[in-house]
Amino acid sequence: MSGLVLRAWLRDWRRRPLQRLLTLVGVIIGVAVVLAVDLANQSAQRAFDRSMDEVAGAATHQVLGPASGFDEAFYRDLRMAGWRDTAPIVEGPARLPDGTTIYVLGVDPLAEGPFRGTASDIGDAPVQRLVTEPGTILPPASWFRDSGPAHEARVTLEAAGGTREVTVIDRAAEREAPDAEEDRIAGGSLWVTDMATAQVLLDRLGRLDRIDVRLAEAEVDALRDALPAELELVPVESRGQAARELAQAFRINLTAMSLLALLIAAFLIYNTQTFAVLRRREVIASLRLVGVGRRAIFGVVLLEALLVGVIGTLLGALLGIALAQVLVAQVAQTVTDHFFAVAVTGVTPRPLALAAVFLLGVGLSLAAAMAPAWEAARTAGPGGSGRGGLERRARSWAAWLALVSLVLLLAGSGLIVTGAGALVGGFVALFLLIAGFVLLLPWVLVWTLRGLAVLVRGVTLPRIAVRSLERSLSRSAPATSALTLALAAAIGVAVMVGSFRGSVEQWLGQALTSDLYVVPAAPASARAGARLPQDWTADLVARSGAVSVSTGSSQEVVSDHGLVDLYVVRPHADWLEYLPLLEAEAPREPLGHRLATEDAVLVTEPFAAHHGVEPGDRLSLAVPGGQRAFEVPGIYRDYGNPSGTVLMTQAAFARGGVPPDGVGSFGLRLPDGANAEQAVEQLEAWLAEQDHAALVTRPGDIEQESMAIFDRTFAITHLLRVITLVVAFIAILGALIALQMERAREFATLRSLGLLPGGVRALVVLQGGVLGAFAALSAIPLGLGMGWLLIEVINREAFGWGMDLRLSWAEVGETVLLGVGAALLASVIPAWRMARMRLVPALRETP
Amino acid sequence: MEQQGSVEDAVLSLTDVAFAYPGEGEVLHGVDFELGAGERVAIVGESGSGKSTLLHLAAGLEAADRGEVHLAGEALAGLDEAARTRLRRARVGIVFQSFHLIPTLTVLENVMLPLELATKAGAAERRERAARQLAAVGLADKEARYPEALSGGEQQRVAIARALVHEPALILADEPTGNLDSRTGETVFALLLEQVRATGCSLLLVTHSHELARRLDRVLTMRDGILQAVDSAEAASA
Repeated sequence: MSGLVLRAWLRDWRRRPLQRLLTLVGVIIGVAVVLAVDLANQSAQRAFDRSMDEVAGAATHQVLGPASGFDEAFYRDLRMAGWRDTAPIVEGPARLPDGTTIYVLGVDPLAEGPFRGTASDIGDAPVQRLVTEPGTILPPASWFRDSGPAHEARVTLEAAGGTREVTVIDRAAEREAPDAEEDRIAGGSLWVTDMATAQVLLDRLGRLDRIDVRLAEAEVDALRDALPAELELVPVESRGQAARELAQAFRINLTAMSLLALLIAAFLIYNTQTFAVLRRREVIASLRLVGVGRRAIFGVVLLEALLVGVIGTLLGALLGIALAQVLVAQVAQTVTDHFFAVAVTGVTPRPLALAAVFLLGVGLSLAAAMAPAWEAARTAGPGGSGRGGLERRARSWAAWLALVSLVLLLAGSGLIVTGAGALVGGFVALFLLIAGFVLLLPWVLVWTLRGLAVLVRGVTLPRIAVRSLERSLSRSAPATSALTLALAAAIGVAVMVGSFRGSVEQWLGQALTSDLYVVPAAPASARAGARLPQDWTADLVARSGAVSVSTGSSQEVVSDHGLVDLYVVRPHADWLEYLPLLEAEAPREPLGHRLATEDAVLVTEPFAAHHGVEPGDRLSLAVPGGQRAFEVPGIYRDYGNPSGTVLMTQAAFARGGVPPDGVGSFGLRLPDGANAEQAVEQLEAWLAEQDHAALVTRPGDIEQESMAIFDRTFAITHLLRVITLVVAFIAILGALIALQMERAREFATLRSLGLLPGGVRALVVLQGGVLGAFAALSAIPLGLGMGWLLIEVINREAFGWGMDLRLSWAEVGETVLLGVGAALLASVIPAWRMARMRLVPALRETP
Repeated sequence: MEQQGSVEDAVLSLTDVAFAYPGEGEVLHGVDFELGAGERVAIVGESGSGKSTLLHLAAGLEAADRGEVHLAGEALAGLDEAARTRLRRARVGIVFQSFHLIPTLTVLENVMLPLELATKAGAAERRERAARQLAAVGLADKEARYPEALSGGEQQRVAIARALVHEPALILADEPTGNLDSRTGETVFALLLEQVRATGCSLLLVTHSHELARRLDRVLTMRDGILQAVDSAEAASA
């Protein structure tokens, strides 16, 4: 390709910097969002995997017991019996004074060597101090870097054992050769300490949470046989599997949102590239006249797109890395809130991810420029059909696209009806429906504008405005599609989050049936494993005047579906009236009786979804006293645990002969008209005298904490929504600028005939308003459809959560106003430019 | 140099007008010109001589760098953009070389446009006047068509109807036959003259064609930005 041809083409950049900037912005934002979400996901995933690996080390199996742990004497017995590759562990979450949740891993450094290497082995100098100095702990190296406290500083930790001070030891300061490999990799949130210290911190005196074991395949059965009834041997990979899958589902949701942003960016790129070609049709014609071939024209347009793609992708990658720093904290917080305590110390772009996003950005730019390049090559030269030809073709394409859209809509609906492909199938259906709807839009737009033109017949300026939009379909359709998509995504997410929030609030109202709760003084994520003495019941009643006391305790148990969360309750008498039962084999009264007197459990909706359990099925659970089969007579709604929970009454649990060894929480129901404030004061005074740290909370506090976690979970979705809207805004701004520039001659004619500058402004703003209103109104059905799909298909497949569809018309209205407002705002610059345009040069433009 | 009557009597007057496009040399150098009511004047000259620029200054589409332009007795220099536009739409009709019809409006709507912009006439009256004007240029049967469906000659006839429909005092015509073949050009020019005579408005025509120019009351020539009168011998020999 001739250098002069290229120069003739690219010199336009200097003349129209704003247009090029808009194209670049499209690529930059699209690439940045995709890369940022990918980096944030990967970093959180790495933190998650690292945390799991750090906790499990090189163990192949783990010996697990009840939630409150098991007697440490059993570990001694195991070693004595010849099982040498074993390491005892006491573990649990704790909270730092700044609110950060960490994970305490209590180890026996003498037994650690084969499992977690020098990170916790006695051969390492800092680890030796853990043994010799009680109350010492080894935070990850990154914590010293980021948080500042010095080596050997005293730090307060709040955990199941109450609030305690520990001495933090910096490995680097303790060692002669700092920067050892493990210092760098031991990031995350894992704080290693000696078992004795961990037992105090986590309220596990004389008890262990698990024993890590390294076993050959042939040894598994032998060890399993050697275990007492209350202990289970489970393969390491089965732990965290559910959390891993759920975290993955959460990431898929985010990735889908980022791809939507990219799709909208593609519209923007296509729009500006088409415009870039059309505006230079004189250049194309002249080049063709001097003998430049069609292939060269095609090439030069693609080369320009390549240049835009490369520059935009490089800048987008830089922005994406910066944006990822913001997103990763959000993703990590969500994973910590719901799944497992992780800490992400930084975002490390992987070469593979960068390469992938580079290909994506450049590929997208090239793909978006393909049609304009073809158009340029096809229409180039004297006699080329130019803009009018393109618009005629655009109108005929609109009809064909409408037919294609019907096929896509049918395919998407088919996928939903058949439920094929589970979560991925759900997303494919979602994208098929979105694509189908979007492809239908140009055709609908044509007919809407024609209808409007008939409506305003006789009112010349509005007629010019709408007819001009119809005649510029290649411009107006992509812009409205981009805005429609962004607004629909906003409506869809708002419907989903709103429905979810409403359902969670309603569920909390139903689930919290006590007036006061007494819970262990530990971080929320640590409470599940923390215990309070069973015999507090009488004292709590005496201090508070409660008329009814319920208890509840969570623990992990082995089942025929792997490790599952079991919630053991001693409920209030009327508890089933409040339980949101979804499916039940029997009416509530006989159901309550069965749950108390037979081997029967209820399961939550997510549990039923993840494990394919239906009413009437049986679950085999390893409860104290041995493995027992429990019938499942019902399923209830619960948003507390995305992995799902099995609910068992304490009566059923204790039937094995071993009563629960503690209580996770007490629920106190006060008599009508009782003074709750006074009851809280009296309870707090009594609790202050007890050995176990506990606190009194009210349902309102729990609701507030739960909703805060909920809002944190969806904060990132809102952020992506805003980014998407920004891209759409830029798309419509670009389209309007392009539209006005193409119509400059018409506007100049109108001005020469006597239209005032204010009239020109009104005309342009009217066009923006029409496009905005069309996009906003189109976004309502698409957005509601997306919301329904997110609720009924995506969330159900990903998390197993069902929720009631709640439509907030106020939010829908808000989004519509936002769309029209954005379009009107986007028309301000073109309106201002057109009103100030010099008339004579515009009049001289070739039609 | 050309002088006739007083500024107050003239529909258009330019006094010592100079103009340069941004970044370029001066296009008009001290032009003096007057056009009386009902007078029909042609300006001839080579491409780039400045004759179209003079027309743009007369219409208030550009502002003179020096000198004074009076349109219908009002000094354009003293008016802001909006006031110039109001004056133009009330007193001037423009016929362009490349028609400049609005492609998104039908033929009838194009002709109604100046009435909507310049008069307070109601919709029915606008429609009736526009239809009458279209009939006058022989396009009564093309009212509902869009410009792209018309031939070049028909489009220019629509442009003439649009320029005349609001009964302006002055018609500015910039090479009205420049985009038409000679036969069609002759027909359109004859129609323009006929309509101008019928309405009694003034006409300032810019053209390359001495033959067309000779059919007007007066012919001026523009050479390198200077406007000169043409004597009868020169006009006859051209």
